[in-house]
Amino acid sequence: MRETINEEVSVVMYYSATKREALPWLINWQNKDYAVGKIGYYHKVKVGDTLHHIFELVDKENTQWFRLNLDTSNLHWTLEAIHDGLAY
Amino acid sequence: MTDLPINYNRPLIMHIDLNSCFAIIEQQANPLLRHKPVAIAAYDTPRGAVIASSYEAKALGIKLGVNVREARLLCRDVIVMMPDPDKYFDAHKRFKKVLLNYTDTVTPKSVDEFVIDFRGSLAVQRGKSLIDVGHEIKADVKAALGEYVTVNVGIGPNRFLAKLAAGLHKPDGLDVIDGHNLEEIYRQLTLVDLPGINVRYEARLNAGGIFTPLHFLHAPLPLLKKRVFKSINGYYWYLRLRGHEIDGVDFGRKSYGQQYALGEKTIAREKLSRLLMKLCEKTGRRLRANNYIATGIYLWLSFENRTYWAKGKDTKADIYSTQDIFLHAQRLLNQALIPARVTNMGVTVYKLKPTTPEQLGLFDGTRLDTKSLARAADLVNDKYGEFTMVPATMANMQDVILKRVAFGSVRDL
Repeated sequence: MRETINEEVSVVMYYSATKREALPWLINWQNKDYAVGKIGYYHKVKVGDTLHHIFELVDKENTQWFRLNLDTSNLHWTLEAIHDGLAY
Repeated sequence: MTDLPINYNRPLIMHIDLNSCFAIIEQQANPLLRHKPVAIAAYDTPRGAVIASSYEAKALGIKLGVNVREARLLCRDVIVMMPDPDKYFDAHKRFKKVLLNYTDTVTPKSVDEFVIDFRGSLAVQRGKSLIDVGHEIKADVKAALGEYVTVNVGIGPNRFLAKLAAGLHKPDGLDVIDGHNLEEIYRQLTLVDLPGINVRYEARLNAGGIFTPLHFLHAPLPLLKKRVFKSINGYYWYLRLRGHEIDGVDFGRKSYGQQYALGEKTIAREKLSRLLMKLCEKTGRRLRANNYIATGIYLWLSFENRTYWAKGKDTKADIYSTQDIFLHAQRLLNQALIPARVTNMGVTVYKLKPTTPEQLGLFDGTRLDTKSLARAADLVNDKYGEFTMVPATMANMQDVILKRVAFGSVRDL
């Protein structure tokens, strides 16, 4: 079931100069680390002048989906929502 | 009169659409949803209407228009989600970018479908197979949007046959209809399988003695024009069915509008007025962003008892600012008869003309000030985000009217 979270979280991000891509690597939420697995979709959204990067991804165990928002005006990460892949 | 022959030209029009667009993008974004029934609904409340569903959900009967309660009755474990328009617009842009790598004659028909005209493509003229191009596009779409995303590709001598071909083998199909196999394809279909023929048109065709697509193809022009369609549409269908192009006209923008399905149905005019203001603001933002002025407005309401009210008005003065739109829309709302709780409402402005050159009215008074204020408010909202600066009527209305995806027009994308 999808749950709206909207909490700031700690994120480790890496940049690969060879692939020319920057991606989240590790999420720490509620004192628990989640290694990032597959990135399902990435897109950008502009809110006024501010660019936000939205990453939708699953953890390495493939049990939890996360929607992360990187606000480029302050480089803060927000965990917007989670989903366990179930209807209820 | 001799019949117009079937078009045997090389099929060079491609119709391409994303399979179950919104649902498949959600399944791409969240791998935990893949191979599961997923329904995208306007609201995730029981009465919320399903606007898209995954192939797994469609197989269970969860189709466009059923509500969330019905969807859950059909499949208890259906995953219901609200739409994410920004993500779908992003997918549309990526999809379009892929297609523009092949030719610049790419026409978006909606957020999830495009028509590509290869008649001017040098590679194709030199003999490159359009079927190979179709397979390449499928691979490129996967690379651009994600490995779970599939598209239907249809190739034909005109837009109608290309679209028909795209629908033959869903999902992930690739079919060609040309003069040689056209009759064989028609033989396998029913009238309502043809794009643009719904049950009402089917009844009209049946009344004219036409019961299959083959009957339709062989129907004489006078029958279609004078008895069945009773208009020029009969001639258009006569051409379309034979593979001649009649749908290649891209009509310009005629109106801007917004509609809203009320999450909380109401009969209270004060509440409706506040919602109306937000619809007017959204409409006004799009009107102004595209440098238009309107001189007509139309308001419609639909009610819980399945009745409908609508009224339009041509205005003497130009409509430009949100306040202009709201003033006229509110006047229309004041005239509305409201027999039951309102379920949906919409406002449209029409009779558009460009903002420049500007015709100033002798008695417009402070019109320029209104325009300047609207432009200033738009600049503030461009910089700080939508609804940062709003009329007082709209105070505390954040998230009351959600961003939606227009199914038809994608001209603003």
